[in-house]
Amino acid sequence: MIATVGTVLYSKIAAGVYHEKNSAAIAEAQSLADYTQAQLDATRYRSDILLQTVINNIFRVSDVSPTTSVRETIMLATPATAKISTRYQGSSNDVLLSTIPKSLRAEVRKNFYSNSMRVQIRYAKSSRAPIDAIAVGRVLGIPSNSIYEIYYLFPLTQQNQLISLIRGWMLGTGAALLLLIALITWYVIRRVVLPVREVAQIAEQLTEGDLSRRLLIRGEDEMGRLAISFNEMALSMQQQISRLENLSRLQQRFVSDVSHELRTPLTTIRMASQLLYESRSRLDPAASRSAELLVSQIERFESLLSDLLEVSRFDARAAILETKDIDLKPLVLNVADQLQANQVPNFSFFAPDTEYRALVDDRRIERIIRNLLSNAMDHSEGNGVAVSISQTEHVVAIGVRDYGIGFSERESERLFDRFWRADPSRSRVRGGTGLGLAIALDDAKLHQGTLKAWGSPGNGAHFVVTLPKSPGIPIDSEPIDVIPNDQPHTILADVDIDDI
Amino acid sequence: MTLIMVVDDDQDLAEMLGIVLNGAGYEVDLINHGDQALEGFRTNKPDLVLLDVMLPGIDGIEICRQIRAESMVPIVMLTAKSDSHEVVQGLEAGADDYMVKPFKSSELVARLKVRLRRTPGDGANSLRIGDISIDQVAHSLNRNGESIPLTRLEFDLLVALAKEPGRVFTRDALLSEVWGYQHATDTRLVNVHIQRLRSKIERDPDNPELIQTVRGVGYKAGPAKQ
Repeated sequence: MIATVGTVLYSKIAAGVYHEKNSAAIAEAQSLADYTQAQLDATRYRSDILLQTVINNIFRVSDVSPTTSVRETIMLATPATAKISTRYQGSSNDVLLSTIPKSLRAEVRKNFYSNSMRVQIRYAKSSRAPIDAIAVGRVLGIPSNSIYEIYYLFPLTQQNQLISLIRGWMLGTGAALLLLIALITWYVIRRVVLPVREVAQIAEQLTEGDLSRRLLIRGEDEMGRLAISFNEMALSMQQQISRLENLSRLQQRFVSDVSHELRTPLTTIRMASQLLYESRSRLDPAASRSAELLVSQIERFESLLSDLLEVSRFDARAAILETKDIDLKPLVLNVADQLQANQVPNFSFFAPDTEYRALVDDRRIERIIRNLLSNAMDHSEGNGVAVSISQTEHVVAIGVRDYGIGFSERESERLFDRFWRADPSRSRVRGGTGLGLAIALDDAKLHQGTLKAWGSPGNGAHFVVTLPKSPGIPIDSEPIDVIPNDQPHTILADVDIDDI
Repeated sequence: MTLIMVVDDDQDLAEMLGIVLNGAGYEVDLINHGDQALEGFRTNKPDLVLLDVMLPGIDGIEICRQIRAESMVPIVMLTAKSDSHEVVQGLEAGADDYMVKPFKSSELVARLKVRLRRTPGDGANSLRIGDISIDQVAHSLNRNGESIPLTRLEFDLLVALAKEPGRVFTRDALLSEVWGYQHATDTRLVNVHIQRLRSKIERDPDNPELIQTVRGVGYKAGPAKQ
């Protein structure tokens, strides 16, 4: 922009300067030529000597008067005169006659006068550099009928100097302007853009959890005030979060302590109940039955307590993965045996005969399978349970399908909630703790695996746990689709497990 | 009659333990305070100590260390926390085994039986491992005529390995053979006791020759030398 404005301005000024000189040159050349012609005319009928003096005067250009300016003069014989003589041809200060272009000479001969023309004065002496000039010519009649052309050359030295001076100034101003703009830009960036970027950076770090980050407060302008408010916000956020963290730590601690504190009396109760149970043959029927109930309910209480403890471990992020390289198929079969799954009507187990080796925490995987399978058995309503295993190169999946009551989309949202039961009025066949699925999900996530659920009211449910064959490998495929093959048209009542 | 010393500050649990152990045919000595444990141990010389980890006064781990310093008696700890550092600390202090509350009476009795059993000399009453000779009948260990004292558990562990030199025992297999666990539970038990055993019988416990680690599998006994 600056360059364009500068160029336009510069060319206007240069044109103006040259135009001025041009007009002056034409006027001066005219008056000089008229004067010379008059002098020549006056020598008519006089001696040749006088004529020679006048001619010499023509080439005396050094007498610069207030009305005339520095110039060079060239006199050339017209081609017609040149055939007879060229005795008056010449130039001031050894200017080369070839300085005058042919086109200008033709114009002069045709019109008597010529307009101005830009030429380059060249000197016979090679040491003098050519000079930019304006040439104006006219025809000059010399007594004794010889016709010459006279050319006045007005050097543009001064004008060129002026122009280059102006150009210099303009370039200088332009550069200064550019520098100024750069400085302003830099200043603006420093005062506005950089602080904003800094705020953004700090905000990102806060988001990533580094709650101790603060902005540096500079000055008392808007940026300074922003920094102060920002820091206040960060501080209050940090206090809130640490308060909540503290609270949840205390709560987790409390749950853990309660679970542990309960264990000592529970041990006594358990041993006492077993003693009663073992001697139940000596008790009356009601007391004997009570002893049986006591034992089974203490079992249930104990599994509830250990589930609760497990949950509190997950909450405290104290759960540790202890991996072993194991074959999952015997593990699944073993769990099915323990739960006596084959006594469930229409129980099926599908696993192509091969090894399903994975580096997993066998205790947790066993617990996932136990939870899923006992859940399926509880809800199958006698319609059958199907367990399947499948694998790809990096991933192994276990699916547990039942054909029982299923669950609705609404229910699916709470499926993995702690202590949530699909139908509270339903009798509990196996008396699960209500924490099974929540723990299974935590166990799957601890393996960086997924646990997905599909359900449809009346059509049963399908739970699929997908595990990487070793921790850290991303789950790149799903060997078992959670939507069962026999229900291709149902949509997944999608449980967005990853966000739980 | 076999005497079991029960150290537990919870009087009800202690009493219940007494009833159960009496019922199983053991004589029981109940101690409710940590400070009296060592004294009681010295006076009554029990055949086994059942020790709660959390005790007022001197805690269970310290009592375990003090008893172990003067006796090779089997020690079984009772704990409410299976996953805490407490268990490893107890094992390192010399406990042979631990029970996590709430345990079943039958489980407890079975475990104590394993700890109290006298390994019958099965034919060969003398074994060799490295330059050490093991006398199964006298329950003693000899290196160049010099006897090395071991706890009964350590002795059982060494015998289990030495009976089949070169066979690699998984930790689960050792748990079942030496501790009597039906399903594997805690491999820390094996690791800690192997370390303790090595520190007693190896010339350089950091470069064990008698009990070698088979990475990713378990342990095996080194060859016998004459």
